[in-house]
Amino acid sequence: MGKPSDLIQGTLDLLILKTVSLEPKHGWAIAKRIQQVSQDALQVTQGSLYPALHRLEQQGWLRAKSGQTETGREAKFYALTPAGKKQLARELESWDRLSGAIGLVVRDGEA
Amino acid sequence: MPRFLERTLHRLRALILRRRADASLASEIALHLEEAEREHRARGLSAAEARLAARRDFGGVALIEDQCRDMRRVAVVQSLLQDLRHGLRGLLAQPLLTIAAVASIGAGAGATAFVFGLASELLLARPTARDVGALVNITLDRNSHVSYRDWRALDESGVLAGLAGYHIEGSITVRQGEGTIGLVPLLATANFFDVLGVPMALGRGFTAAEAAAEREPRVVVISDGFWRQRLGGDRQAVGRAIVVNGEAYTVLGVLPAGLKAIPGFGLAPEIYVPLSRGVLPGLDHPHAAAAQLVGRLKPGQSVEQATAALDTVVQRRHLEAPDRPMRVGQIVPVTDGVPGMGSIWQFFALLGVVGALVLGIACANVAGLLLARNTVRQKELALRAALGASRGRIVQQLLVEALWLATLGTACGVVLMAVAMAALGRVPLPLPLPFELSVSLDWRLFGLTLTMLVLATLGSGVLPALQGARPSLAPALKQVERAYIHRRWTARGLLVVGQVTISVGLVVTALLFVRNLSMAQRSNVGFDTTRTLVAQIGLVENRYTPERRVAYLQDVVDRVDALPGVERAAFAFGMPLTVRHGRTSGAPIGIAGEPASASVQAHWAENIVGPGYFDTLGIARRQGRDFAVADTAGTPRVVVVNEAFVERYLAGRPPIGLHLMLPGPGHDDDYEIVGVVANSRYRTIGEAQMAAIYYAYRQRPTDGRVLHVLVRVAGDPAAAARPIAATIGALDPAAAVDVQTVGQSLAFAFLPSRVGAALLGSLGAIGLTLAMAGLFAMVSYSVTRRTREIGVRVALGAPVGAVVRLVVGDALVLVGIGLVGGLGAAAVLTPALAGFLVTGLSPTDPAAFIATAVFVVAISLLATVPPIRRATGVGPLVALRTE
Repeated sequence: MGKPSDLIQGTLDLLILKTVSLEPKHGWAIAKRIQQVSQDALQVTQGSLYPALHRLEQQGWLRAKSGQTETGREAKFYALTPAGKKQLARELESWDRLSGAIGLVVRDGEA
Repeated sequence: MPRFLERTLHRLRALILRRRADASLASEIALHLEEAEREHRARGLSAAEARLAARRDFGGVALIEDQCRDMRRVAVVQSLLQDLRHGLRGLLAQPLLTIAAVASIGAGAGATAFVFGLASELLLARPTARDVGALVNITLDRNSHVSYRDWRALDESGVLAGLAGYHIEGSITVRQGEGTIGLVPLLATANFFDVLGVPMALGRGFTAAEAAAEREPRVVVISDGFWRQRLGGDRQAVGRAIVVNGEAYTVLGVLPAGLKAIPGFGLAPEIYVPLSRGVLPGLDHPHAAAAQLVGRLKPGQSVEQATAALDTVVQRRHLEAPDRPMRVGQIVPVTDGVPGMGSIWQFFALLGVVGALVLGIACANVAGLLLARNTVRQKELALRAALGASRGRIVQQLLVEALWLATLGTACGVVLMAVAMAALGRVPLPLPLPFELSVSLDWRLFGLTLTMLVLATLGSGVLPALQGARPSLAPALKQVERAYIHRRWTARGLLVVGQVTISVGLVVTALLFVRNLSMAQRSNVGFDTTRTLVAQIGLVENRYTPERRVAYLQDVVDRVDALPGVERAAFAFGMPLTVRHGRTSGAPIGIAGEPASASVQAHWAENIVGPGYFDTLGIARRQGRDFAVADTAGTPRVVVVNEAFVERYLAGRPPIGLHLMLPGPGHDDDYEIVGVVANSRYRTIGEAQMAAIYYAYRQRPTDGRVLHVLVRVAGDPAAAARPIAATIGALDPAAAVDVQTVGQSLAFAFLPSRVGAALLGSLGAIGLTLAMAGLFAMVSYSVTRRTREIGVRVALGAPVGAVVRLVVGDALVLVGIGLVGGLGAAAVLTPALAGFLVTGLSPTDPAAFIATAVFVVAISLLATVPPIRRATGVGPLVALRTE
């Protein structure tokens, strides 16, 4: 297994918003989920995860509630707010544009 | 916006619940570590290894916690609180600087707040009344007053919740012990207190039912001042009788202290009397100006609706009786201030600008002090920068210090303003009505204070903050001051130039108004003010028929004439340049024997005078004759006009013998011009020359109860006042007699010039003082910094003169630039003041400009004297010791 690639800058927000859009999750679960879904290709460093979560909460895109983990511990669960939902849509759209554009450039001349 | 609100709330919660937020963050991270540890153990690591691995993966817990806190923006607020504490400590450690800065801003803010408070009190005070927001001032056509009948008709129409009227230009006499005093009452319609809902300290107001004019009501309501001064604050005053116009009136109520009366303008009538024939003769006259209207809107009724509804009523009345007003003039909420005060508003706008400029000079002072402080603490600032404080952080810290100074200064200013207002309220002013000022702590004052606070913070803080945050680490840390490099064009120097520029403008303005006052006082009013006296006589109404009044006045004049030292005496209806100057009229004037189409629209001042009036006042007679005792009822009507009237309206016809058709009650009457007299002033000192018509008193005994007797004496007029008053008083003890020299009686006419000179003079003085304090501080500081340089120069043999030139030279260059700029700016701007100045005084009056230049240069030199003394006292040894 190769070294997990660094996250493309600016995509962490998108990943977090997408991940919590399914159901509220706590920090650890968010990190795990991203890692699992990307089949270990993406690894969120804790150093950036928590500041990002707090920033998204401050911006009003996430709302934190306390809840119980599977192990029965009290934890802070992050859920998407309506504003967060809109932001997710915006980020998805710009991601599609960006990835499409990059695809066009890097495949230029191959066809 | 709600987003922003949400974020702010979140931030605030995070700040307030900091402990809880920190705990929650810690537990969040702890959970993460536990989960990671569990995972590592599942992979087969030992408990200790797993914990270490989890920690390693996570990174610096404290750092991440900090980053999370930053994300919540708590840090900004936290650091602000820190800076506030730190800033206050720093300022307390430097009491001199703090006091100087706070005093500066205090003076500037105080001046601005004073102007504002005065304007707010005079022009915008909210009258004390129930639900004052629903009260409106109402005028019909372009008249301030309506007749009694018009008021009644409008009130009975019921289109408003209530409509009251009042009149503050009358006069009554009140028996006071053995004597009688004349007072200006507030004459009110019977429903006045019902409509306004004025609170009472004692008793009650009169009601519409008991005070109707037809019932000849004999009740009054008195002010707190009247109650204290004239009834000795008697708690049992309600029900007591006082003698008004020779009849007993019952006191129904006492108004509370600090009441803001409905006429506004700080006026505080002492006695409220229901309108009746007893106090306002001619009440029933269809054209008598009986009442100013104040109405109460119905709940939910807008000003527009009220205007439309009232307009319908007014127009219907006009159709029935075409001599009645045609339209509603304007309806204005009383809280919008006294209407028709345009020039006073302009004057206050000018004062406001001047106040703001004074505040600007004060801010420049503080900015200068803070700039100087920055240089002294360069090391501290550099150290902070070196330890990682961002530029924004240092700017914030320095701004917070300015915020402290501005807060303390503004608070001082507001206190100063309250003290000054209270003091002003005790200055006796030559006004017909008592005048009261009190500062109301309302949202207007609050808004002003907040604005001044922000402006003072930015004005005094931004420049030093930006300069202080400019990174120049190395030299600062090495403690190398660029000691021998001297720059003239420092930020402080520019501030001083700005201050001098502004204060020169202020001083020019102030001197213009002082010149205005002196010119007004020296201006030729057209009659003698040095050897003349005027007795104002308030007769008790209904005691005299017109014939008896003429006989009484002739009697008074004869007796006064017989007094030793008296050269001449005469009676008249009005006294020029006082509140009761007579009347001004405008109408088409025709000439008998010429077609009506030849009549000209004329505007004139008029007075009704007895024989000898012109000689007594020293108004030169140019042609024809004076009125004679023989010009009396039944003889052909005669008038005397002034030269301006002849020039303007007679188109070159020889005036004497000409018959004018002048408007009389109901129809035009024929008057023969028998004399022409010199021009003089009639209503105000600064007025443009008016045409004037004098009627013969014996032919037209007025309804007015207040009359004047004029006296010319050989010696000192002040000494003659007492015997004259005694002589007049002996004839009718019930009459209120007030004798003054004519010079004293003009105090009212000079009031606007005096107030202008006093207010602008003091603002100019404050501005100049602040600017000079700034100059002084800058020169002192530069001497301190150059102590070594001066010492070395002296050691090398520089003469004292060279040292003085060194120090003064710089200061004078700055002052010179400011002076030229300020005079230039003033020359461009002062023409806007022309409307406030007497004719004959140019807004670019050379005397004011030259005096300003001389004055500012002289004061500047004075401000540099103490630093120069210090500089020339610097010995080489002292200088080396500072090394």
